Amino acid sequence: MSKRRAMVIGGGISGIQAALDIANSGYEVVLVERLPSIGGHMAQLSETFPTLDCSQCILTPRTVEVGHHEKIRLATYSEVEEVRGDFGDFKVKVRRKPAYVDWERCTGCGLCQEKCPWRVASDFERGLGKRKVIYTLSPQAVPNKPVIDREHCVYFQKESRCGACAKFCPVEAIDFQQEEEVWEEEVGAIVVATGYDLYPMERLREYGGGRYPNVIDSLQFERLLSASGPTGGEIRRPSDGAVPKEVVFVQCAGSREPERGVAYCSQICCMYTAKQALLYKHKVHDGQAYVFYIDIRAGGKGYEEFVQRAMEEGVLYLQGKVAKIFPQDGKAMVWGADSLSGKRVEIAADLVVLATAILPSQGTGDLREKLGIKIDESGFYEEAHPQLRPVESGVPGIYLAGAGQGPKDIPEAVAQGSAAAAKVVALLAREVSP
Amino acid sequence: MRRVGIFICHCGRNIAGTIDVERVREALRSYPGVVYSLDYLYMCSDPGQELIKEAIAKRDLDGVVVAACSPAMHEITFRRTVAAAGLNPYLCEVANIREQCSWVHRADIERATLKATQMIEAIVEKVRHDEPLLPLAMPMVRRALVIGGGIAGLQAALDIAAAGYEVILVEREERLGGRMAQLSATYMNFDSTVDLLREKIERVTRNPHITILIRAQVEELSGHLGDFKVKVRQQGNDEEYEVGAIVVATGYDLYPMERLREYGGGRYPDLIDGLEFERMLSPTGPTGGEVRRPSDGRVPQEVVFIQCAGSRDPERGVSYCSKICCMYTAKQAMIYKRQVPQGQAYIFYIDIRALGKGYEEFTQRAMEEHQVLYLRGKVSKVFPQDGKMIVWGADTLSGKRVEVAADLVVLATPMVASAGTFELAQKLRVATDEHGFFSEAHPKLRPVESLTAGVYLAGACQAPKDIPEAVAQGSAAAAKVLSLFSQEKITHDPIVATVESELCAGCGLCVEVCPYAAREIHPLTKISVVKEVLCQGCGVCLVACPNKASHLLNFAPAQMMAMIEALEGG
Repeated sequence: MSKRRAMVIGGGISGIQAALDIANSGYEVVLVERLPSIGGHMAQLSETFPTLDCSQCILTPRTVEVGHHEKIRLATYSEVEEVRGDFGDFKVKVRRKPAYVDWERCTGCGLCQEKCPWRVASDFERGLGKRKVIYTLSPQAVPNKPVIDREHCVYFQKESRCGACAKFCPVEAIDFQQEEEVWEEEVGAIVVATGYDLYPMERLREYGGGRYPNVIDSLQFERLLSASGPTGGEIRRPSDGAVPKEVVFVQCAGSREPERGVAYCSQICCMYTAKQALLYKHKVHDGQAYVFYIDIRAGGKGYEEFVQRAMEEGVLYLQGKVAKIFPQDGKAMVWGADSLSGKRVEIAADLVVLATAILPSQGTGDLREKLGIKIDESGFYEEAHPQLRPVESGVPGIYLAGAGQGPKDIPEAVAQGSAAAAKVVALLAREVSP
Repeated sequence: MRRVGIFICHCGRNIAGTIDVERVREALRSYPGVVYSLDYLYMCSDPGQELIKEAIAKRDLDGVVVAACSPAMHEITFRRTVAAAGLNPYLCEVANIREQCSWVHRADIERATLKATQMIEAIVEKVRHDEPLLPLAMPMVRRALVIGGGIAGLQAALDIAAAGYEVILVEREERLGGRMAQLSATYMNFDSTVDLLREKIERVTRNPHITILIRAQVEELSGHLGDFKVKVRQQGNDEEYEVGAIVVATGYDLYPMERLREYGGGRYPDLIDGLEFERMLSPTGPTGGEVRRPSDGRVPQEVVFIQCAGSRDPERGVSYCSKICCMYTAKQAMIYKRQVPQGQAYIFYIDIRALGKGYEEFTQRAMEEHQVLYLRGKVSKVFPQDGKMIVWGADTLSGKRVEVAADLVVLATPMVASAGTFELAQKLRVATDEHGFFSEAHPKLRPVESLTAGVYLAGACQAPKDIPEAVAQGSAAAAKVLSLFSQEKITHDPIVATVESELCAGCGLCVEVCPYAAREIHPLTKISVVKEVLCQGCGVCLVACPNKASHLLNFAPAQMMAMIEALEGG
């Protein structure tokens, strides 16, 4: 093996697990992440099913371990530009976006963020909260180094006015002249763990298509539930900050629906919806939670029991699809069917949460071309064999992990991260180049 | 006198929302031994850790107390932090003021603040008496034991061997392949399982690093992570092997039909379970792959599949979902329809759980292309009448009762942990859950580790799962073994028991109570000794010793008393 080091693309929980397992086996890992810090979607979640562990609390020991691991080199705010070569000897060009902050100098003191006078909607909060124009994704970010959002920065947009961050930075780390950086990494193996995005609400017209503030998607609801979220963990509806008393959860919003969404099942929505409804009930004791579902798919350890618990604690499950959602007198009217009673159901909801479909993350198509691997008809990476080679891409030396290969929950993503690592370690351990 | 620094974490609002951290910090400022105190938004963040390092250097600290979340979360983080600043990591302790204080006293800021202060004072007392310790280092045996030769075990063995390590693969039956060898075809693409498996088994048998022990069982296990001794019984002969790590992949059995009385549980020949139907569909099976009902060999024209036959049914079966039945039933119904196009297949279900890539589309195909009739509802009774099996069920969607006169009924009975799991778990000292499956170390983040160091889990022995998941877990368990074997030595936490030899009478009570076999009476000196590498620091021997000769490092009696006094308010 000529290059006994690996690259992991994607710093979510699956990529983190792969990187740690490879690094703990003694090989160097370059972990490439598109965002300024690692953690992926798990960092946005409130609590995890079925144990209701706080997501951040179980995640941060891992992100901290990655941040301090002597065998792991973090390349955040970076993307893979070009891949050449073959297994054992890939040459990967990586492009790092300018952060406009010299991360070598920056101590992560946070003063720049405090002093920056400008706020914009935060992607991490899915638009429900704001962030400064110079920002980190969270206070526990790894690495804890800020980036400047050039598009919204007054210094860049208004001919060098402002510059508050630079004035207050005690170590002169702000560098408005910083340029993007491109370099080449030589690695023997690559793990692709680029994760998922949610199906855009805008495409679900019957549900208001993102036009009503009180119809939100499930990741937005995670942020509302999260103690570190925009409402400090209080459930407040976006339109007026009132505590919603009737909340409708709509499962399969775009999933299992080839006509207006995707044909496949997104796998995790049944469980996170049960969790969200349960957590809502814990926070709003006199509130009512309704869940519209087609089938309840609770297929993991303790999952069935968890859904039962949600029902026993008063979450109302209605089997049927929701036909339409529209605003009326300050409420979101939900028209649905209860196929068990055969009746139409109408609920005047204060808040509607759509469990929108899981999509391969943006850029999956681009990256697969660079890597020369296949995607399936749904746009996810295709594994070499659905039964027996679930983490191999079919291209030697390139392995798959996590939701980039298909929707999956955290334990499955973690197991796949480890599984991909096993393949990498076995490859790197070979005495001779094949 | 030790110079102790206190670092209080807000954990966002998790702690600071209930505990007045500033008041705690002020109150502790004058506590004996405390020379520095600080509070910060997230101590575990990079800047938080930097603050600790800085304070150690500037304030010349030789003891650190971090008041934060449970030590199960970040003790290791903070111990690494102080080590990076040149302090012995065992001089850093965590006071758990989140799980044990702020989270449980949200309504009472006053008392929560007082309690947090006293908890931290107690930990200060502990640090003041802590000794600097060095981790114990032991040699490693770089050979793995894989228990179970099903698909998960085969995959684990192959991946460990691929990195060049030796593997002992123990299989109870006469052949490798496990349950997968009994199946007809996989769902999704109807690949022949026998062909798929043959290739895997050939790779295992050909691999020079893998020793296969057929008709063999683990009899006894001793030792610890990095150095286990396993006695394996093979056809009456016992042999001992030394291994450094163990992968458990003992798979599943089906719930016995006999216990499902309403369905006639095993009394009627034309009522079979999912695996029996697999054998019928399999080209290597008793009918050569043709669907023929057991009673008279006729081709059945009406076949009823009953899902959740004992699953999701705590009263007469198990409470959990068996996860794979929805998919294999769809597959079985489709294969049946291919063979008997004029026949009718009915599937009774509660929910269709098509949880995997392409699975939803697969069940759609069963309905649309193969006209399999899905009926949502439970079956209340199955009984024979005039050569048929009468199935009474409900169709909850139409609200009607349904009666089908079937030629053959297939029960999708639950997966249960394979026979002998409990006995094996005891030998391995690995926990099982309330359903009898092996327990993983953490349901989210450590799915293939057991809580016993060096013992890993793969496949359906941990919970029902299908082939791709079992394969991924086999590889994942292998990854854990590979990173373990890449370490030069095994390091062991030095918080272990010690014996004050002058006080020990050699009564042997500690030997009896030690759950880890870490104690023995020395044959010559006749006093108790601690096998440090086995000791987990649980402290049971301390309680048992009538002479108070047993101690636990950094949990000395004087230390505990000082802590208790601090908790009582000084």
